[in-house]
Amino acid sequence: MSNVATDQILGGAYKEGFHDDLKSVHKVPKGPTHAVIDYMCDVKGEPDWMRQFRHRSLDLFLKQDLPAWMPGLRDIDYDAITYYMSPIDKSANKWEDVPEEIRRTYDKLGIAKEEQKLLGGLGAQIDSEMAYHNIQESLSKRGVIFLSCDEGMKQYPDIFKEHFAKSIPPEDNKFAALNSAFWSGGSFVYVPKGVKCDVPLSVYFRINAEQFGQFERTLIICEDDSFCHYVEGCSAPVYTTHSVHAAVVEIFVKDRARCRYTTIQNWSTDVYNLVTKRAFLYKNAVMEWVDGNLGSKRTVKYPSCYMVGEGAHGEILSLASADKGMWQDAGAKLVFFAPNCTGRINSKSISGHGGRASYRGLVQVNEEAKNCRVQVNCDALILDPVSRSDTYPVMEIDGDLATIEHEASVSNVSEEQLFYLMSRGIKKEDAVSMIVNGFIEPIVKELPMEFAVEINRLINLQMEGSVG
Amino acid sequence: MALPPPQFTMTTGFTQQNLEAIASGEPAWLKSQRLAAWQTYERLPLPTKRDVEWQRFDIRALKLDKITLPADKPAITERLTALPPAWSKQGVVFCDMRTALTKHSEVLKEYLGKSIAPDEPSKFNALHAALWRNGAFLYVPRNVCVDQPLEVVYEFTGQNTAGFPHTLVVVEPGAEATLVQKFIGGPPVGSNGTPSIHASGTEVFVKEGGHLHYISEQNFSPNVYDFTLKRAHVARDAEIDWVLGMFGASFQRYDVECVMEGEGGTSFMYAVGVLDHNQQFGQFTKQHHKTGNTTSDLMFKNVLRDSAVSNYTGLIKVEKNANGTNAYQANRNLVLSKEVRCDTRPILEIESNQLRCTHGATVGQLEEQQLFYLRSRGLTPELARDVLIEAFLEPVLARIQVESVQKEFASLIHQKVVRKQ
Repeated sequence: MSNVATDQILGGAYKEGFHDDLKSVHKVPKGPTHAVIDYMCDVKGEPDWMRQFRHRSLDLFLKQDLPAWMPGLRDIDYDAITYYMSPIDKSANKWEDVPEEIRRTYDKLGIAKEEQKLLGGLGAQIDSEMAYHNIQESLSKRGVIFLSCDEGMKQYPDIFKEHFAKSIPPEDNKFAALNSAFWSGGSFVYVPKGVKCDVPLSVYFRINAEQFGQFERTLIICEDDSFCHYVEGCSAPVYTTHSVHAAVVEIFVKDRARCRYTTIQNWSTDVYNLVTKRAFLYKNAVMEWVDGNLGSKRTVKYPSCYMVGEGAHGEILSLASADKGMWQDAGAKLVFFAPNCTGRINSKSISGHGGRASYRGLVQVNEEAKNCRVQVNCDALILDPVSRSDTYPVMEIDGDLATIEHEASVSNVSEEQLFYLMSRGIKKEDAVSMIVNGFIEPIVKELPMEFAVEINRLINLQMEGSVG
Repeated sequence: MALPPPQFTMTTGFTQQNLEAIASGEPAWLKSQRLAAWQTYERLPLPTKRDVEWQRFDIRALKLDKITLPADKPAITERLTALPPAWSKQGVVFCDMRTALTKHSEVLKEYLGKSIAPDEPSKFNALHAALWRNGAFLYVPRNVCVDQPLEVVYEFTGQNTAGFPHTLVVVEPGAEATLVQKFIGGPPVGSNGTPSIHASGTEVFVKEGGHLHYISEQNFSPNVYDFTLKRAHVARDAEIDWVLGMFGASFQRYDVECVMEGEGGTSFMYAVGVLDHNQQFGQFTKQHHKTGNTTSDLMFKNVLRDSAVSNYTGLIKVEKNANGTNAYQANRNLVLSKEVRCDTRPILEIESNQLRCTHGATVGQLEEQQLFYLRSRGLTPELARDVLIEAFLEPVLARIQVESVQKEFASLIHQKVVRKQ
């Protein structure tokens, strides 16, 4: 297949690449130091336990090495990065209260318009702090909490402390330690027993500064029999230097509850996106990760489901598109600690223009997890000869009562399909676009309508300017 | 005339003196290969559980400094089927390595160590390359089709010792042959001390349009640690079909690789493993597509009982511009006990875009429904189970084209499967 098709699918303009000159209210010297932590704790007025936690995490970060299988991250210069920076002083809960220049940034991204139409709540983070956080009255009346993570710690210290860092301790990995040391912003969501949040809660993360580290921290707690759908999006300006986005997302899905977490990651190609996402699933709980990775220089992200309660079901849908200069190291983890659980991973990746898409996955069945069933499917499309696709699945099974299936395939756009569509009078570009859209359809159809439209728009927009 | 059997004293543990003793009287090029490999061996640390590939294995019982190499003859000796004169007249060579070194040193110089290089990044493969002292050599000249299977049996004797047989196979353009390798013997059951080491290497070159049928059976006694590397280079329009059987040894690390170097090349890799008691098997396969329009197919099937441990790691690597690659890889594991640990890592690394690569891995148990069906036909539960296990492995056995070997595989499987506690 020619490069035409690649150009069609990838390589378009990154329209979120602008940046605005915002005045910083808070800014600390570069480099990961204990002094930065003290400054942050003072500014935020944090309790002592958190201050100690941050210091301990920084020590762990400085001590820990990268795992050997995680190449391509050695060139991050941690000392060149600013770890805390904010153009705002406090989070607003009315859009009008958000400082005007920040509102302008978000207007360009079209964030606020969405809120009234389809969201139950909206949050917007710029650099280190949440600029805006609001939730529909109907939801807050039923006890649903939707705050920035910092506010969550202040207003609901008991719930917060009970769950914070319980599924992802700073010891977990180097980037979890980094986040634990410098976390700021992110969401705190609490859905009480039996409450179904039928409209999604959405948060938009924006990096505006240069050589910056964004470390949002999200904690979602779904009590028994509840339901919640959380949607996040993100973007950053295009600079020539690198920024780091190292988020930690912890989710607790209690008995019979269901949580769905949707990500549309569209960072600019100078952002290292190093995210740890993990959900604990209790008895008969259901967790669904829908993870779309379209941007960033390097993404290292494996949303995980840890089945700790009997009968839990974890599902991960992963979509990665690697364009020029990108390495999407995306994947999924299913870890079973309890019997009769089921899990499914469905991954689709596209690589073109020299991009590299890797699926890295883990299925681990521990001895006490009897009668678990897992199905993993990975499909990859490679659009041109300079691109690369890898599959690194690991399955570790203890005991004899699990059924594990893994299947993967890698191929190009089939000449036969292309020929068929063209013989029906469809232009080559449109035909390729149809095939690619058909390929990702099983995942896109799981997205909320607006996001599905956005994905299709991104892919089609990037096809602009291609020559036949 | 073969080289006289080397006379030397061997130290306990592995030392460079051993190497010097083995290399005495050998051509200089071979000795320099050995020395380079020895440096690799010395440089690499013993693998530990911190290495991803070794994390499920426990080889602490192995004490390298307790191992003594026998002075008079290698711990593993080879026994080759006699080549009928009809074939030798046509230029076919099938002889032991020491004979080959004297009689066919030119061919050896061209191929030996060219696949299994002295800097192979594995401690035990390097040890093998430094210290091998016997083995078998098969050479099939252009357009000669040897229609009878040629067999080499490697038999392990002694204890607290090590053997390093080396096999070199060259199939010239348009030629065809069948090679059967059997690895048997080992320290007597119940012997104590350190496990004995078998570290072997098999280098295969199949030239343009050549075809090699290759069968390998490993059935060492329990107190053997087996480190094996087999690598085949497949040229244009050439073909190799492998059938590997893994039954014995308490620890086994198999590295099996096909390197697809010419268009139209094909490799079919099939294997069965039956593991019981505390057996630990690591199976590492690589389908390396350097050139496009090549095909590789792989199926590794394992049955695990008792507290066996297995790790299958398979890599399909497709280089840039290897368009038209068609690669398939399947690893199927049947788990019969709750103490079993079974890992599988099927990996794809693809840098080309006009291709089709798929892989599949499964870990599962016998189907209740199938068991029920057989029992409803009057089979006892045990018999129903055995029938299903043997049926699971059948597709691999069906690939063996030598009837006697096929029967032997079937009987080895049967013995391990029907074994009562």
